[in-house]
Amino acid sequence: MNWLSAVLGERILGTAKAFRRRGLLFVIMILFWIILTASLALHEMLLGAICSAAVAALTVSLLGRALDPHITPAVLLRLPLFMLRLIWEIVKANLDVARIILNPGLPIDPRIVEYRTYLPGDLPRTVFSDSITLTPGTVTVELRGDLLNVHCLCPYHEEGLAGLERLVAWLFGVRRDGEVRKGG
Amino acid sequence: MTAKEIVAGIFCCIGTFFFILGTTGLLRMPDIFSRLHPSTKCDTLGACSVIVGMAVYSGWSWDLLKLIFIACFLLLSSATCGHAIGRSALRRDIPYWRRQDEGAKSGDGA
Repeated sequence: MNWLSAVLGERILGTAKAFRRRGLLFVIMILFWIILTASLALHEMLLGAICSAAVAALTVSLLGRALDPHITPAVLLRLPLFMLRLIWEIVKANLDVARIILNPGLPIDPRIVEYRTYLPGDLPRTVFSDSITLTPGTVTVELRGDLLNVHCLCPYHEEGLAGLERLVAWLFGVRRDGEVRKGG
Repeated sequence: MTAKEIVAGIFCCIGTFFFILGTTGLLRMPDIFSRLHPSTKCDTLGACSVIVGMAVYSGWSWDLLKLIFIACFLLLSSATCGHAIGRSALRRDIPYWRRQDEGAKSGDGA
């Protein structure tokens, strides 16, 4: 009987987890609906709730996993602050690249550098390489495993990568040794 | 002309200025990889400044939230697009432009 209770417990736990994930997806969907319809009228909300529930239910059962397990409420809370910091980095890099473009001598020395990241999982790595690409002066041209190939316009642009990596690690609550912080 | 319109106009002008810079850079850069940098710059600061200008103009309304979403999707698609172009160029073994004299002087090839 021990194995039966173990299996049942796992099943219930898994269902609860899927249910919570579905609920989170539903909340995101309905917020998006409210923004797009721009009204809080009852019939609009009702229609949106029905659609969001249908999409949330269908997506989870079709794809098995609709939301990456890295997306937690803590990450969503830190996301606006992360975006503000990222925009600040982008503005700084933009002014730098603008200076290079307007310089008649065009002082560029491009190279493709390899960068090994300690971020675990697909989502943090994708966010990291997207942030690199958004920052002018650096473009991620290849991402394979934990190895990134980054095209840098000038050698000193490479120095900004570590800072961006730290920012993404902070967003996902990842420590330097690659462990995901619990409850962070 | 109210203060709101003036501020919105200033932001739109900054955005247009960065679009001009991005186009200039696109024309001046030597190869496909370097050209990715000014084009992502166009999308990020140029388009975002124009969107900020429109957000100031619209004020606190539902349009503001929609504009924020447009900016988010624009940034996501711009980054993905730049990465896809760079990756396909790399896979086709297109050599990237290097400054010749620097490489010869320091002697560190590759």
